[in-house]
Amino acid sequence: MIFVDCLCKRFGDNSVLDELNLEILKGDSFALIGPNGAGKTTLVRILSTLSKPTSGTVSVGGYDVVEDPIKVRQKIGVTSHNTFLYGDLTAKENLKFYGELYGFKKDEIEKKVDILLKKANLRIRAHDLVSNFSRGMKQRLSIVRAIIHDPDILILDEPSTGLDVPSKKTFYEMVREQNASGKTILLATHDLREVEMLCEKAAILNRGKIQKTGTIEEMKSDGSLEDVFEELTKNGK
Amino acid sequence: MKLSYILSVAKKDLRVEFRVKQTLIFMVLFSFLTIMIFSFALNFSPVSEDIGAGLLWVILLFTGMMGISRAFIREKELGTLEGIQLSPIDPESILIGKIIYNLVLMFLVEIITFLLFIVLLNFNVKNIILAIFVLTLGIIGFVVVCSMLSVLVLNAKARELLLPIILVPIALPMILFSIHALRGVFMGDSLAEISSDIIALLASIVIMFTLSLLTFGFALEG
Repeated sequence: MIFVDCLCKRFGDNSVLDELNLEILKGDSFALIGPNGAGKTTLVRILSTLSKPTSGTVSVGGYDVVEDPIKVRQKIGVTSHNTFLYGDLTAKENLKFYGELYGFKKDEIEKKVDILLKKANLRIRAHDLVSNFSRGMKQRLSIVRAIIHDPDILILDEPSTGLDVPSKKTFYEMVREQNASGKTILLATHDLREVEMLCEKAAILNRGKIQKTGTIEEMKSDGSLEDVFEELTKNGK
Repeated sequence: MKLSYILSVAKKDLRVEFRVKQTLIFMVLFSFLTIMIFSFALNFSPVSEDIGAGLLWVILLFTGMMGISRAFIREKELGTLEGIQLSPIDPESILIGKIIYNLVLMFLVEIITFLLFIVLLNFNVKNIILAIFVLTLGIIGFVVVCSMLSVLVLNAKARELLLPIILVPIALPMILFSIHALRGVFMGDSLAEISSDIIALLASIVIMFTLSLLTFGFALEG
């Protein structure tokens, strides 16, 4: 599903990702763990076609991110702490707009939007402006925005930042539901509790390099996930 | 490039703008205040046909720069530009959608400003339809260039200050063709008499639009 080979990304003289290799299989729930500045967001931006690699090969859903960015975008749904929602549009208008960008027809969008708003438990607020929503409601709407085109891969970049406990719980349930339906999940975070709750596999990224990769259980064989993370990132930024 | 994508982007921006009316109201207020300043400066005496076109364009230029750049800057500030970029839409459709939105906005401002200009500066226009036609052609060229350049400055620290510095030299030939043709209309020239300016203006619009389409993808990538 996601294949990264010898990926490098430099900003001037600053090397952010250094000969990075990664493989994520179909249906995986994979966490990309790393401290601030480890290169998680840069990697996520490359996987989402928002940024280009300096060198190396990256393929997502079977397509190269540089050669076929439009096809990659049809395969992925992305959400982050930024919800990509318009505060001056209603929840329904936001979803309809993004649905149109994925080429759905009007009646098709209407049906999809109704189902998705129900899924996000926001049907009653469908006609309210998003600017009046709580952070948790925005994030729920953001996740259904990301899956409006039924993508194979869901990329989440620190999605629970700023969410309170009940909102996090609802959000996690939605992510688990997506993974259970066969979607591949890539979660970039530094929240280890979140990783243990949502993911089966992980890679620890530090200073632009993968320090360790494997299942969560394998990682915990040397101690708690927190201990392993601290040990591998103690020289981090 | 797909018409449905273009219309979706334009429709969304128009919906937001007509709901909050933020940009339009500020643009109209700014042009009204500028006309009032000219009115006071000229001691309420009528503006001569000779300088009317230049004055009108100065007002529209500054009003336009203030409003048009908001189309992309607002998306950048909200973080929604990346949301659009993450969908399978080609960059050209985004640009044309934004141009259509800016054209609707600027056309409304143009009509309101022109009417205020006529009333508040006691300006006499012999052929108002032809004047609006010539002015609109100039506005189309201006909007194309301004929409494109506002993306180029998106990642700059002082983007609102940088935009006029690069916009004016690039848009200047089109503005000068429009001013020249408009002055002719105000002086009583017919369409045939200003045709050379109109052709030059149309050619400039086509060139700038083509260049914008060719370079927009790179500009958006930053």
